[in-house]
Amino acid sequence: MSHVGKKFPGTIAVDDVSFEVYAGEVHALVGENGAGKSTLMKMLAGSFDDYTGRILINGKEVALHSPTVAKKYGIGMIYQELSLAKPISIAENLLVGRLPKKGPFLDRKRIDSETRSWLSRVGLDLDPNLPIEDISPHEAQLVEIAKVLANKPCILVMDEPTSALSREEVDRLFEIIGQLKNQGLAIVYISHHLPEIFAIADRITVMRDGKKVATKDKAEMTREEVVQMMVGHSEREFYHGQPRASGGERLRVEALTRKGFFHDVCFAARAGEILGICGLAGAGRTELARVLVGLDRKDSGKVFLDGREASPRNMAAALRLGIAYLSEDRKSEGLALRLSIKENVLAGLIPMHSKAGVYLPEAGSAVLESLMRELSIYPRDPSRTVGNLSGGNQQKVLLAKWMACGPKVLILDEPTRGVDIGAKMIIHAQIERLANEGHTIILISSDLPELVGLSDRVMIMRKGHFIREMAKEDCTEESVLIAANTDVARPAQEVAHG
Amino acid sequence: MADQAIAKADARSTAQGRFIHFVNVIGIYFAALLFVLLGFALQAAGVITNFASAQNFLNIVDNVAMLGIVAVGMSFVTYSGSMADMSVPTTMALSGIVAVQFLKVGFWPAIAAAFAVGLVIGLVNAVVVGRFKANPIIWTLAINYVCMGIIRVVWVNKQIYPDMIASTKDVSQAFDAIYRLEVVKGLGGNPLASLRLPLVMMVAIVIIGQIVLSRTSFGAQLKLTGSARKAAKFTGVNVELITGAAFIVAAITATLGGLTVTSLSRVGAYYNGAGYDFRAVTAIVIGGMSLSGGRGSIIGVLGGVLIIGLINNIMTLIGIPTLSQDMIRGAIFITVVGINAKSLRSLGRDDA
Amino acid sequence: MTTHKKLDRSGALSWVDHNRIYLIFVVALLVMTAFAPKFFNVFNLTTISKTAAMNACVAIGFTIVMICGHLDLSIGTVITLAGVVGLGLKKYVGYEISVPLALCSGALVGLVNGLLVTKVKISSFIVTLGTMTILQGLIYQITGGNSIALSTPDAFSVADFLGHRLIPLVTPRVLITLVLVLLFQFLLSSTRWGRNFYMVGGNKSTAWLGGIEADRQIVVAFVLSGLLAATGGVFFAMESSAATRNMGDNSLMYVLSATIIGGTAMSGGKGGVFRSFVAILALEIIYDGIILFGLGNEVKIFLAGFILAVVVLYEAYASYRHDRVVGQRSELLAELSAAGRGNRSTDAASSRG
Repeated sequence: MSHVGKKFPGTIAVDDVSFEVYAGEVHALVGENGAGKSTLMKMLAGSFDDYTGRILINGKEVALHSPTVAKKYGIGMIYQELSLAKPISIAENLLVGRLPKKGPFLDRKRIDSETRSWLSRVGLDLDPNLPIEDISPHEAQLVEIAKVLANKPCILVMDEPTSALSREEVDRLFEIIGQLKNQGLAIVYISHHLPEIFAIADRITVMRDGKKVATKDKAEMTREEVVQMMVGHSEREFYHGQPRASGGERLRVEALTRKGFFHDVCFAARAGEILGICGLAGAGRTELARVLVGLDRKDSGKVFLDGREASPRNMAAALRLGIAYLSEDRKSEGLALRLSIKENVLAGLIPMHSKAGVYLPEAGSAVLESLMRELSIYPRDPSRTVGNLSGGNQQKVLLAKWMACGPKVLILDEPTRGVDIGAKMIIHAQIERLANEGHTIILISSDLPELVGLSDRVMIMRKGHFIREMAKEDCTEESVLIAANTDVARPAQEVAHG
Repeated sequence: MADQAIAKADARSTAQGRFIHFVNVIGIYFAALLFVLLGFALQAAGVITNFASAQNFLNIVDNVAMLGIVAVGMSFVTYSGSMADMSVPTTMALSGIVAVQFLKVGFWPAIAAAFAVGLVIGLVNAVVVGRFKANPIIWTLAINYVCMGIIRVVWVNKQIYPDMIASTKDVSQAFDAIYRLEVVKGLGGNPLASLRLPLVMMVAIVIIGQIVLSRTSFGAQLKLTGSARKAAKFTGVNVELITGAAFIVAAITATLGGLTVTSLSRVGAYYNGAGYDFRAVTAIVIGGMSLSGGRGSIIGVLGGVLIIGLINNIMTLIGIPTLSQDMIRGAIFITVVGINAKSLRSLGRDDA
Repeated sequence: MTTHKKLDRSGALSWVDHNRIYLIFVVALLVMTAFAPKFFNVFNLTTISKTAAMNACVAIGFTIVMICGHLDLSIGTVITLAGVVGLGLKKYVGYEISVPLALCSGALVGLVNGLLVTKVKISSFIVTLGTMTILQGLIYQITGGNSIALSTPDAFSVADFLGHRLIPLVTPRVLITLVLVLLFQFLLSSTRWGRNFYMVGGNKSTAWLGGIEADRQIVVAFVLSGLLAATGGVFFAMESSAATRNMGDNSLMYVLSATIIGGTAMSGGKGGVFRSFVAILALEIIYDGIILFGLGNEVKIFLAGFILAVVVLYEAYASYRHDRVVGQRSELLAELSAAGRGNRSTDAASSRG
């Protein structure tokens, strides 16, 4: 890919990047969220018809404007979201569109044997007639991989393939990758997990902010170097980093467990404090937040708010108690895209006050105005549809919604994902202001500078356990990332002292 | 300074937003007006007679009063994203026939019994669709058949008559009056022109419905649920409860409509209420409410109801037999939904 | 090598669930034979097979549409339309023309349905609700509210032929239906074209990316539904030598019930024509038995709706339960059970995710 670029409204996702992969190599593409890795690869997958720059395969220029074209050129993409049809059997998903036939009829024996052989390549021994909905998600992920392989690609792109896999499964996957390498496939491996990258890759390319930072052979790099390239330098130092005077303990969590999602989590957060939670995908951070705010039921453990036990049965109850949650995916979980800014911002107040029954829409105007001003939400017109706003403004609207509820504890999940720099700064400033005013902020973020820059303390979670806590002095982006990547032999059993 | 700018923008845009909404609603009434003009034109051309009379207009409104009652209730279901409540026809019939049966005991017991039936149906729908998330169309269709079956089993093929079953003459007259009670007599000096109870009920329900939908917390939660269900859930709205409550509302208005229709026909039978599902959905769609939820208003639905009434009236006056009119109604229905779907898609949203 | 068991995969329970319609059929047959008076004789069984045949034919098309993930509410009116056209035009052009015309009209309705759903992108519920209403009006307009009856059955008319029993129990109508059922079942399970319906219903975009012409499959499904409904309508009309204004009205309920009970899900991608056929048979046996017990037509209607409601509820509840546990990580569950082995046995042994 030569000097390719891709613009989205509001941001340049990929800025003049050049990138090559050779047959028989595993080329890792690393970078933080928003660095542009996925977008770069989506270009290769034919998801966009408006990229700039050139893409050449085997020396010949190609125009990858649709997924079918990309497939034709032998590009296979393995995403995290599965492209399988749930009620349909493994075999039919694998061989979709090209079920082998004998004359006009299906050749069942060949279907079965071909499916089984592809499945065994990824280490699965399943009945090909099982529908996808009957197998577990990680089995489905492997089926997805088998499906892509069955198309006999010459370039394979894997986007975070291991986030839901267990250790043995990851090993098995690496075996497969090794085999494919030997067969001459060119493999691009996108991931956050540094240990894995260093285990499997031949060359590593680091991206940041849409640009390519460097491409080097693995042998020439150390983990720390990679991390440093991922996180970059002083542009990020617009965080104040001043220690904050915090108040008394506000939120305490003891041995909180949700079976299968996170176990035995203990921590405490003070008033006026920003507690960061760091972890890789699948660590259980979002699930923890959901339990705290009443969206999911806990299985055991206790939560105390201002000394009193708090077990909100649902989100409305949590809001009334003073705990709010800004969810990860603003488009599907956060905002009502078809409704106006005003309706969205005031939306949180409705379930909070729903016991009252009647609520006059005019009552929110004052709050709305001040929030829009504080957050510089643009366009200024509160009746505009939220779906038409830029990502940054959408996120501001979402933040405004929760601010309007005046919560004691505000949990933010990836608050600046997909947001431009200007909006990011405003949001960060707002977060700090909230903390200074005495609110407790729990910040879940994969954006390391943000996490480290804003938090007073950082909690590391990995695979459902709370591993350790790091004080502000110990936190640098590198140390935090390394900590999040480190497997501990046994999960930490100690209760964190606040 | 910036504050003032925002405040002004807010005021202006709230006004703007209201204006746009206003225009949308007016658009429906404008279309209604067009139909009125069409009627006039046809009359002028001699194709129909007797259109442009107060009596006729009163007839129109009278005829759709029951549809209006039922449509407003069902629009809650639509607004909250559950598309439609197909159990309305038999809910109407069942509550009507139960009422007639209980006239044996008295007037108010009959009314109470009817509402009890309606509430039970509403609750069942609410739990199954709200909590267990069954497909609303299939489930309410199933309930429709079940209720039909109940009527057939309990009353076999009998039709029961209020005047024969009622305990006293007063009671049966009271029941009769549900449809025929003249609340305002002799409009404009014409002794035949009077506002009857169903019309008054419809107006009341429209007003209540409009207020609830646009001014209460419940209405706002309905809107959130219908427009972005997942986001509503993540905002703390109890989506299951709201979805279920909409069905209860629909069942209550269906009961009211059922009582009125049964009173009109003076017989308790399984066919009271037939066709109301389709007509209500049509009115809702013409009235600007989106079938995927979250958009529209009760006033709009009223406009849709009026338009249906006008169309029916004109067709009848032209001489098209009532049951043949279904052809045109069906065609209009599909056309309106199709236009909605296309226009929304050109705006970049997926709908219907 | 990883092999995992899902909770419901545990043998017995899922087999029962998967094959429930066959079990229901067998049970119904046994119960009725044992307890219903006059059930197991040639006459009664013939009656059952004749009624079942007519609905089963319709159910074939309806099932295909549902496999695609759509709903065809217009089948009842198509049945009536076909009956009216087939019988009504007979005196003018004879069966040779009127029957194919009736079939074509059904196919035409299906075509309109399919195009509206795929090109104008209106939901199938709306479209077929609309066409159903239009057809109701049309039928009334054609018939003027009257039924069409054959005044004198002709000696060698097709109707007679279709009614003439070749083998006891199996009239030509039934035979035709059986052939159609088996044909479509075969097509759907053993040809690429047939399997495409499932994929379209399973996940339309997966189908697209796999190179399947999803829109075309959907239109074909609707055309088939219309065509087969029309066939059923012709059968109905021939059977009673009359076409009434609302003869098809009950069919929607029966066919819908049977299809869902037979295992075809509204969500698409699952189910089968043969299952719907068995379901129709099973339901017909039950209904017939009810009548033989002396319970009357009304109970039959109630039961039809009730069974449908039960099945819908069951499916909804099952997916409600399923959704509560999706996403758990197996390692954590394993840890928990290892730790908790001392305390109490958890059902974390069912490792998921």
